[in-house]
Amino acid sequence: MAYMSMGEAHRRITDYLNRFSDAVSSQDVVSLKQLLSFSSNSPSLLSLADSLNVFQDANRLIKQSDNYSPFADITVPLFRSLQHYRTGNLVDAYLAFEKSANAFIQEFRNWESAWALEALYVIAYEIRVLAERADRELASNGKSPEKLKAAGSFLMKVFGVLAGKGSKRVGALYLTCQLFKIYFKLGTVHLCRSVIRSIETARIFDFEEFPKRDKVTYMYYTGRLEVFNENFPAADQKLSYALINCNPQSEANIRMILKYLIPVKLSIGILPKDWLLEKYNLVEYSNIVQALRRGDLRLLRHALEEHEDQFLRSGVYLVLEKLELQVYQRLFKKIYIIQKQKDPSKAHQMKLDVIVKALKWLEMDMDVDEPSLWMSRWNV
Amino acid sequence: MERRHHSQSHSQRQQGRNHFSSSSSNQSRSNNRFSFPKSSSSSSSANDVRDRRRETQEEKQEEAIVGTCPFMCPEAERLQRQRLRDLAVFERLHGDPRNSSPALAVKKFCRTMSAKEVRASDVRPLPVLEETLNYLLSLLDSTEHPFEVIHDFVFDRTRSVRQDLIMQNIVNDKAINMFEKIVKFHVISHHKLRSSCSSSSISPLHYLNLEQLTKALTSLYNLYEANWSSKPIHEKEAEFRSFYVLLHLDSNGQPVGESLSLWFRHVPSPIIKSKEMWFARQALRYFQMGNYRRFLSTVAAEASYLQYCIIEPYIDEVRSLALCCIHNCYYKLHPYPLGHLSKVLMMEESDVELFCNAYGLQTCIDELGNKLLPTKQTTFCRPKGGLQNYSFLGFQQLGRQIEL
Repeated sequence: MAYMSMGEAHRRITDYLNRFSDAVSSQDVVSLKQLLSFSSNSPSLLSLADSLNVFQDANRLIKQSDNYSPFADITVPLFRSLQHYRTGNLVDAYLAFEKSANAFIQEFRNWESAWALEALYVIAYEIRVLAERADRELASNGKSPEKLKAAGSFLMKVFGVLAGKGSKRVGALYLTCQLFKIYFKLGTVHLCRSVIRSIETARIFDFEEFPKRDKVTYMYYTGRLEVFNENFPAADQKLSYALINCNPQSEANIRMILKYLIPVKLSIGILPKDWLLEKYNLVEYSNIVQALRRGDLRLLRHALEEHEDQFLRSGVYLVLEKLELQVYQRLFKKIYIIQKQKDPSKAHQMKLDVIVKALKWLEMDMDVDEPSLWMSRWNV
Repeated sequence: MERRHHSQSHSQRQQGRNHFSSSSSNQSRSNNRFSFPKSSSSSSSANDVRDRRRETQEEKQEEAIVGTCPFMCPEAERLQRQRLRDLAVFERLHGDPRNSSPALAVKKFCRTMSAKEVRASDVRPLPVLEETLNYLLSLLDSTEHPFEVIHDFVFDRTRSVRQDLIMQNIVNDKAINMFEKIVKFHVISHHKLRSSCSSSSISPLHYLNLEQLTKALTSLYNLYEANWSSKPIHEKEAEFRSFYVLLHLDSNGQPVGESLSLWFRHVPSPIIKSKEMWFARQALRYFQMGNYRRFLSTVAAEASYLQYCIIEPYIDEVRSLALCCIHNCYYKLHPYPLGHLSKVLMMEESDVELFCNAYGLQTCIDELGNKLLPTKQTTFCRPKGGLQNYSFLGFQQLGRQIEL
């Protein structure tokens, strides 16, 4: 780090504070959000952090000036957080940032218009990301990670601030999506229910008013919840919405949506084309699709085993396992078709030993009883 | 702690002057008409936040009581219940409904609103809880009283034991051991209560037992996870985890807690690969596919006693399906030997006959004395009342597995 003089440090700090108060008084959200976005690691924020280390009396500077003291509750902890962030002390950075964010929310509530909404988004994002990093730090020190959970509580409070009649309510969906990300990460997915209820059934919000980007994210997460609950028609509807309205440029997002949409579509008998799987690198589904096409039971079991961990973690394993029935149906249909071609007069009688042979070839070890079982299920 | 500073600073600011906002701080709150999961008003939201944080380890330790009650039942409670004649059969000294003793009285379950309301002298420390649990479980062997009566008492008193453990935030190996025993009690009751009720509708006792089984199981899983860093795998964890899968065999049924897909996400890999979990997943697969043959034979071959107890209600369903399939297509040409049916249904032959009769099917005997289902019967119908309990082949061997 190049040597910075006391004067230079002082200048940079007052520069920041001036930009902050100018942004607020002229309602310039673009400038304001840049001042809050730690994770952008912008050179100006980094050099501000360095300046704070050199000129250590920023608090007095803030409190003694009429220009800066109104935002003291925001900037004092913000500076502290930035310093901790710079030294890699994430737990303290999170705690201080949350304090600053809390003060910001109080001001935000008093501002009549929604001019600062995007700055609020930045704060919500930073809270989540800082909390995640803080938890990693806690876990690596053998302590129990609970900052992300605290972030969830904090953002619920912010959500409450946005819910209301004013123009600020369009921000609620962004907050919801941040909350979803937190709950999914923590595994406390049941907490999504209450916020979904607020969005969907409480009569404050008109879903169509929300920004498209937020709607896509929302449908992605609620679609995934439907997959977990094996509610396939709803999952299909929501994930398809997300897919159709997703930015075609963002391939990573499309991939994430497809990862859950494909098992749903497979369950209702719709197979994706191979090029789709290749384009979005979802080759773990290739063998499953193939197995469904061919009626290849062995391939299905093999594919499930090969990617078992991955499928279990993403929560689609049980959905894919249920495809076994469809694979059987496909197999028997093919046998039926072949037999019919060979001997049309006896088409209605499927020979059991033919079936047993086919199954044996697929390494599915069965006695004569079992195929009859399937036949009886489908009234063949 | 950070949280409390927030609420203090907020109220200070409300009293102080706002330099750069002209409107009052109450403005945005006045338009809230809706019930939100967390209140948006400032003071109660600080409380909400504190309540939620209560669940974190630090808060738990701050609030966790250390119990000092030396008896199975706090003396004050025992004396009061003696006065009020509120003593269970097992608590009465020489059968006297007005008299108990420290050796007989056990603390009743009682809902408390928060840990703050409870006195340390009413809470039993770990060693006392262990003794209490052992005593309670020993009552299960008693033959003096009908099972429902014993179950009812042990049900309530173990619930109080669980409550004392949780209130004191005891999360070590011993707690795990105790919760495992309690879950075992509920599982065996699940089986025994079913045998004793004759109708197909589930008795309230049975339902409530299932409810507590699920709660105790969830607490147990939390304990396993809390101990993950100090001891990754517990001896019986795989079996107890498998219970969750077996309780959720029917995805169309009442969802109890998290969906299976979600639940699987945070099961540790070694558990998933265990044979107990493998069995449960196979049972799930065969059940959902309707493969009655493999379902029943796998259960017979692989299930432990406790796993069998949980899966028992599904066995009837599967057998019903089996009979239906067989009736629909198997014996159109030749009579179906009951011996074979007995192997498919994993049922004693004598019970098979009763089972078929319950479904409106007659049996006959051939020249060799073998019992058969004659062909082309048209009288198949589902039994209107409930089914009685039928045997399960190999059950006797399973029964020998239990030790409480």
